[in-house]
Amino acid sequence: MIFHVAGTDEALANPVTVRLLVAALGAVTVAAVVTGGMSVAGVGTPALRRELWLRLGSWVVLLPAMILPVLAGKTWLIAEVTLLGLLCLREYNRATGLFREPLIEFVIVLGVLAVNFAALDHWYGFFVALISITVGLLAVASLPLDRPAGYIQRTALGIVGFMLFGSGLAHLGYMGNDLNYRPLVLLVMLSVALNDVMAFTAGKLIGGPKLLPATSPGKTVSGALGALVVTTAFFAGVSHLIFRGSPIDGPLWLLLLGVLVSVAAQAGDLMLSSIKRDIGIKDMGAVLPGHGGVLDRFNSLLLTSPAVFHFVNYFVGFGREQPVRIITG
Amino acid sequence: MEWRFKPARDFGLPLWRRVRSLGREPGLGSRVLHQAWLTSIGLYLWAFHRLHVDGCDNIPAEPPFVMIANHASYLDAFCLARALPRRLASCAYALAAGDAFFDTLPAAGFSAFAVNALPVWRKGAPAAELPVLRARLEEDRVVLILFPEGTRSRTGTMAHFRAGMGALVAGGPVPVVPCWIDGAHAAWPPERRLPRPRPISVAIGVPLTFAEVDNDRTGWSLVAERCEQAVRGLGLAQAGAAS
Repeated sequence: MIFHVAGTDEALANPVTVRLLVAALGAVTVAAVVTGGMSVAGVGTPALRRELWLRLGSWVVLLPAMILPVLAGKTWLIAEVTLLGLLCLREYNRATGLFREPLIEFVIVLGVLAVNFAALDHWYGFFVALISITVGLLAVASLPLDRPAGYIQRTALGIVGFMLFGSGLAHLGYMGNDLNYRPLVLLVMLSVALNDVMAFTAGKLIGGPKLLPATSPGKTVSGALGALVVTTAFFAGVSHLIFRGSPIDGPLWLLLLGVLVSVAAQAGDLMLSSIKRDIGIKDMGAVLPGHGGVLDRFNSLLLTSPAVFHFVNYFVGFGREQPVRIITG
Repeated sequence: MEWRFKPARDFGLPLWRRVRSLGREPGLGSRVLHQAWLTSIGLYLWAFHRLHVDGCDNIPAEPPFVMIANHASYLDAFCLARALPRRLASCAYALAAGDAFFDTLPAAGFSAFAVNALPVWRKGAPAAELPVLRARLEEDRVVLILFPEGTRSRTGTMAHFRAGMGALVAGGPVPVVPCWIDGAHAAWPPERRLPRPRPISVAIGVPLTFAEVDNDRTGWSLVAERCEQAVRGLGLAQAGAAS
C-alpha cells in the first residue's frame, strides 16, 4: 500500500496535472528553440549561450527527476523530498564547516528523516512537534563534548539547517496526504522554476537598478518585479482551476497566494546568496552544470513550501478526510 | 576547538577529483562507512592474524601526529589504524600509492571513503603534495599514517627512509610516532595475491619531535635518519625479546 506506484490513469486523473505537464514540456521546448536560434544567429556572447545550453541540459534531466516521483504517489514524493533535503543539507554542512561537528550533523539527519516519516505517517501532531524536539536535541547534542567554544555557532547553524532542509522542505511532502495533491505540488515546483527564469529574463531584458547589490550583484529590481508579476498571475490562474469552489477560490486569496509564492521563492534565493557571500563562495557545489549545487537550484523551494502549505491549510487543509497515523496506528 | 566558519578543503570538487584530493574531508556518510570498515578490519586482524599491539601508552592523547613504520605488506596501514584508539582512528588518514589505489573510480571511492586513504603519486610532484599534507596536520589536526620507505619491501628487510617525510614535521610541533610491524610480510608478502593466517604484532615507540630541526633539505634528511633509527631500534628490541 505504502509503496504503491500510481498508474497513468491515477497519476493523470486531474486535468490540471496534464495541463501543467504539457506546460513544462512546452517551456523546455521553447527554451531549446530559443537557445538554438541564438546559437545559429550568434546572438549573445558565447559564454551566455554556453550557460543557457548548460542550464537547459540540466533542466532536461531535472524535470523528469522532479515530476515522476510526484506522479508516482505520496511515498515517492516524500522520498524525493527527503533525498532533496539530505542533499541540500550535505552542501550546506560542507560549505559552512558544520560537517566538522558530526554530532550536530547526526541530529539534523535524524530530524530530517523523522519529519519526513511524520509526513508519510500523516501524523501532523508529530510533524509539528518535531520542530521543538529537534531544536531541543540540537541545543543539547554537543553539551557532553564539554567544549563551549563555538557552541552558539554550531547549534545555530544546526537549527537553521534543520528548519530549512528538514522541517521547511517536508511541508512539500506533507501535501502528498491530500488525495488531490499532484497538481498543487507540480504547480509549486513549476512556479518557483518559472520565477527564477522570469527574474533572469526580465533582469537581462529590462536591466536597471540592482536589487541588493551587496547580497547578489546579478539581481535587478526589474527582474524581481517581472518575476513577481508573471509568477503571481500564473500561480493564481492555475490555483483557480485546482481549488475551484473551495473557500480559497477568490481573486484576493489566490493573488495573495501567488504573491506569497514569488516573494518566498525570491527570499529563498537571496537567503542562499547571503549565506554564500558570508562564507565567500560562488556556488554550493558543482553537481548541476549551469546551476552549481543542488541547493543553488532548489533554494526557492525552501521557504515557498511551508508558505504555500500553511496558507492552503488555513483555508482548505490537506488530507482532512484521509486516515491519519497510517503507519504508527 | 574554536568554531571555524570554513568550507571543506575539497568543497565544490567533482566526485572524481574529490576522491583523489589530498584535501578530502569526510562528511557523516564517509565517517559511518569508515567506522564500519575499521570494525570489519579490526575483526579480521584479530581473527586471522591475532594482532598484538605493544606500547599503546606512547600514542599521543590528541592529534595531530604522524605514525610511521616499516612497510612490507598491504596489511601494514590497517594494522597501524587498528592500533589507534577509535577516536584517533576516525581522524587518521593513510597515505597510499595513487597509481595502485586511486586509478579507477570504484577503487578510489573505496580507498577514500572506506579506508580513508589519501593518494601520493610516486611519479607525480611530491613537492606540491607535502605542503598540503603539512597544512592538514597543523591546521586540521589529523593523524597521518605513512611509510617513509616509499614502497613495500620485497624481502621483508627495511630500506632507508626517504627524506621527503621530513618536510611534514621539520621545524614544527607535530610529533612522529615510530612503529615496528612484525609478521605482516610473512602474512601477505608482495608476491601473494591473498593474505594467509600468520600472527602480526605492532610495537609503538616514544614520539619524536623535530621543532628544533631546520625546515630545509638538510633538516628533512636529519628527520628521516632519526626516524629510521627509531623504527630500526624498535625492530631490534622486538627481535631481541623474541629470541
